[in-house]
Amino acid sequence: MPEVKLAHAGCVDPAAAAAKFYDVVVVGAGVSGAIIAKELSEAGKRVLVLEAGPGHDMSLEGYETYLNRFYTAVSKDNNSPYAKNPYAPMPRTEDVKRLTPGKPDATGYLVQNGPYPLESTYTRVVGGTTMHWEGKALRMVPEDFKTSTLFGHGRDWPLSYRDLMSDYDKAEFELGVSAEVESQSYLGIEFEPGYVFPMHELPPSYLDKAVSRVVDGSEVLLDGKQYPLTVRTTPQARNSIPNPAYNGGQGYQPVGAVSIYPIDYGERCQGNINCVPLCPVQAKYDATKTLAKALATGRVDLLSQAVASKINYDTGTGTVTNIEVKTYDLEGQTSRTISVKGQIFVLAANAVENARLMLASKLPNTSDQIGRNLMDHPFLLNWALMPQVTGTMRGSQSTSGIEELRTGEFRKKQAAFRVSIHNDGWGWSTGAPYAQFLEAVDRQNKFGKKLRERLVDQISRQLQLAIQFELMPDPKNRVTVEDRYTDGLGNLRPVLNYELSDYALEGVAYARRFCQLIFQRLGAEDYTSYDPREPGYLEYKGQGYSIRGGNHWSGTHLMGTNPADSVVDANQRCWDHPNLYPVGGGSMPTIGTSNTTLTLAALCFRTARHLSQVLA
Amino acid sequence: MSLNPLNTVADLRDYLQVAIALEHATLPPYLIAMYSLKPGHNSAAYQQIRMVAIEEMLHLVLSANILNAVGGTPDLTAPDFVPKYPTHLQNGEKDFVVNVQRFSKEAINNFLQIERPVAPPHDHGRFSRSMTRSAATSYAVPPVRQADGQELHFCTIGEFYKEICEKMELLEKEANARNETIFTGDPARQIDAGYYYSGGGEILVVTDLTSASKAIRLITEQGEGYEGGIFDYEGELSHYYRFQQIKLGRYYVCGDKPDHPTGARFTVDWDAVYPVKCNSDISDYRDHPELLAAVMDFRATYQTFLENVTKALTGQPQILQETVGEMFRLKEKFYHLMKNPIPGQCDVNAAPVFGPIR
Repeated sequence: MPEVKLAHAGCVDPAAAAAKFYDVVVVGAGVSGAIIAKELSEAGKRVLVLEAGPGHDMSLEGYETYLNRFYTAVSKDNNSPYAKNPYAPMPRTEDVKRLTPGKPDATGYLVQNGPYPLESTYTRVVGGTTMHWEGKALRMVPEDFKTSTLFGHGRDWPLSYRDLMSDYDKAEFELGVSAEVESQSYLGIEFEPGYVFPMHELPPSYLDKAVSRVVDGSEVLLDGKQYPLTVRTTPQARNSIPNPAYNGGQGYQPVGAVSIYPIDYGERCQGNINCVPLCPVQAKYDATKTLAKALATGRVDLLSQAVASKINYDTGTGTVTNIEVKTYDLEGQTSRTISVKGQIFVLAANAVENARLMLASKLPNTSDQIGRNLMDHPFLLNWALMPQVTGTMRGSQSTSGIEELRTGEFRKKQAAFRVSIHNDGWGWSTGAPYAQFLEAVDRQNKFGKKLRERLVDQISRQLQLAIQFELMPDPKNRVTVEDRYTDGLGNLRPVLNYELSDYALEGVAYARRFCQLIFQRLGAEDYTSYDPREPGYLEYKGQGYSIRGGNHWSGTHLMGTNPADSVVDANQRCWDHPNLYPVGGGSMPTIGTSNTTLTLAALCFRTARHLSQVLA
Repeated sequence: MSLNPLNTVADLRDYLQVAIALEHATLPPYLIAMYSLKPGHNSAAYQQIRMVAIEEMLHLVLSANILNAVGGTPDLTAPDFVPKYPTHLQNGEKDFVVNVQRFSKEAINNFLQIERPVAPPHDHGRFSRSMTRSAATSYAVPPVRQADGQELHFCTIGEFYKEICEKMELLEKEANARNETIFTGDPARQIDAGYYYSGGGEILVVTDLTSASKAIRLITEQGEGYEGGIFDYEGELSHYYRFQQIKLGRYYVCGDKPDHPTGARFTVDWDAVYPVKCNSDISDYRDHPELLAAVMDFRATYQTFLENVTKALTGQPQILQETVGEMFRLKEKFYHLMKNPIPGQCDVNAAPVFGPIR
C-alpha cells in the first residue's frame, strides 16, 4: 500500500537519548532532517532526530487536530494550525507590522530590525515548514548556479546544475513530484535521457487555459530583447496520476497519509484549493512522510519538545563534542537540559534557526558569514477580474505559471522573476473568497439568488498573478542574536536585518508593468492596489508596491570553495568544524527564482551520501 | 429468475455481473452510516468505514476488469442493479437482510454479517457442501437453480467468489485444450492505475487467468482475510475485523488473534450521529414536497453517476475522472438530505434513496 505505516512513533525520552552515542545527531525534523535521517538509517546508522516543537502529531488524529484548529481560526495564516508555544515559538504573519525607522520590533518571535520588515514565517513542529508549504517543486535553472560569472551579481555555487542533477531526481522521488519533462525542459534545464517525473503533471486549470490562450506566443520586451511567453504547468510535490514509465517502467506508488493504524488515505489531489497550510486529504507531501520511513528502520530515535540550545566543541580540533538540549513539558511548564552526543552533528533547523544556534553557541566564525546573506523570495501580487467566468477556486492553489523571465541577459541589470497563476484567485491579496462574500452581504445587501450571482461574478472571474523575484545574497541582510532577546526557555531569539536592493526593486517595477500588460491583453480589469499601511509597502522611483514574504529562508551559512568567504563546503560540511553539517536552504549561495525546498532536498541527498561514506 | 449452475462462459459473465452488483449493494449502507457521523466526531470510526467502502469500490472495478477480460459487458444501469433496501445480498445469503441506516451498533452488527469470514475448509465451508436450501424470496438477483429445481444459496461472499474462481480456472483449462482462451475481451476496456483514483489497494489489469485469479484473491482477502486470518496477504486488516474494531473500540495490531485486538483504544460516540431514516424510501416523503424534490434529485444524480461509471467500464476509462467530481456532488447531496428532519416525525432526518421506486 502507498501509505506509510508507523509501527511505533520511535519516540525516546530525554534520559534515554542522553545516554546513547549516536552515529548522527540531527537537529530538526523538517524535510532536510527527515531526508538525512532516512538515508543514513537505511544505510544502517543510528540517528537521533531532535524536534523543537511537539511530536505527537504523526497520526491522522494529530493531523486532524491541526486541520480543525485551522478551520476554526479567525486568521487563516499559514501557521494557524499550530498552537502557540512559548518554548519553541514560531514567526507568525500577524506579528509583522510597519517598522518605525531605527526602532526594532520585538513583539513577534523574530526581532525585526528593518529597515524592511520580513513577512515570512516558518513552522516549528514535526514536519517543519512542509507543514504549511504549498508544494511547488521547481528545479533551479542552470544559469542560477553561476550568476556572478554570467551577470556580475550574487555568487557562483561550488556546484553546477549537472552536479546536482541526479540528486534532483532523488528529491523528486522522495517528495513525489508531479510534472512532465517536456514542459519542464526550458532555459537550459536538462534531464537524464529517458527520465520522467514520478507522476504526471497536475492538469492545468480552466483558468490556466483561459490565460494561456492569450499569453502563449505573445512577447514582452525586456532590456532590448523580445521574450516569447508560454504558460507551463508547475511541478509540484502533490499526488497526481503516477507515470507508468517512471524508473525504467517500474512506475511509482503515490505516498499517502502517515498513520499509526492503516487508513488508506491521502493518495491523490482532489482539488480542494486548500493546499496552504494543510491539504485536507494529505495528497501534498510533507516531511512526516519521509520521517515515517526513517522511523520504520528502527534505527531512528525522535526526541520532540527538545530545543538545541548550545553546540559545544573542542577548541583545538574544532570537533563538535555534544549539543546541549533544553527539553520541556508543556503541561507542567518545566524544562531540563540534557546533552546529546554523536559522531556527526547535522543542523537541519532551517536557515534562521541554524544561524541562530551557531551564533548563540558562539562558534568560531572564520568567514564572518554565519547569519549573513539572508535571502527569501519577495513576492508582488497583482489581481484582476477576467472578462469571462473562469472557474476560479478550483484545483490546487496554483497549477501553472510563466517561466521565461527566470533568466536572461537582463539579469545584469535587474532581478529575474517567475509568475504563478493562482487558482485560489485573490485569496492571498484580498482574503478571497471571504472578503467578497462579506462585501456582498454587509455592504451590498445581497441575499438569495442575487447573492449567488454576485459571488459568481466577483469570485469565479478572479485572476491573481503572484510574481516571485530572485534576491541576491547581501551580507547586510542577516540573522544575529542579542542577549536581551530571549524566548520562554531562555534561548536567544533571531534578530533580522533585511532590506531589498535596487536590483530586486528594478525587477519589481518591471514585473508590475508586465502584469499590467498581461491584464490588458486578457481584457481583464486590474484591481491591484497597494496600501501604504501594509507592513511590506515601499516606494521605488515614485511608485508604491506591497512586497510579501515568500517563506523561502536561505543563505545564512552559504556554501563555497573558500573558508574565508563561506561557511560550508559543497558537502555542507562546516569549514570550521569537521563533524558539523548545517544543511538546508541556509547553504544555498543563490536561490534564483525556484522555491527552495526541492533544491535543498537535493542538497541533503548529496550530503547524506557523503556522510554515509564518512561513517563507513 | 435464477442463476444457472456455473458451467459456461456465459454463466461466468452472469456471475461476474452479479459480483459487481453485490459489491455495489454494500455501498449505500456503508456510505449512509459513514456520512451520518456528524463532522468533527468519531474520526476513527469514520476512517474504518471509509476504508472498507473504498475497497468495495476497488472490488467493483476489479470484478468489472475480470468481466471485461472474459468478453462480458458490465452494466450498472441494469434494472434491479440497485437493490431496494432492506435487501438480501445478491449472492443469495438469506439469513439476514442488509439495512441502510444511521451509524449505530445495529449498523455495525449488520456490517459484520455482510463481511463475515468464510468458514475454514474443515468446517464444511465449501460451496458444494454448505449451499443452503431455502424458499425463493422476492429478491431479484437469484440463487442458483439446480437441474432438479432446487435453489442453492451461497453462505458468504467469499464462497461466491471461490465458485467463480474455480469455474473460471476450469473453463480456461477446457478452452486451452481446444487452443482457445476465455480471455477474449478488449484490453482497452481495462481500468488501470492511471484512471483508478484514491486508495483501497492496487487496481489490477486483467488479461489472463493469472491476473484474474490475483484480482479475485485481492477481493476476497481484503474482505475476509487470508485463509481465515485477520489480515490479507498485503498485511491489511480485513473488513470484518475493521468493523469489529468499531464495535470493540480498539485497534488490531500485527500478531493479534481474532476477536482480541490489543492496539490503542478509541472512543465511539454513538450519539454524534444524524438520526437518518432507516431504509429511506420515496413513500417517506410523499407529504413533504421539498424533501421529495431533494430525494428525487439525489436519486437522479446517482443514476447519472452509475451511467457514467458504466461508460467508464465499457471502453471510455477517462470518464472515471469526471465521475470523481460527481462523487463530490453526491457527498454534498448526502449531507444536504441528512441534516434535514422529516416534518411530523420525532427525531428522524431524511436520507437518500438509491434504488428503484416501487
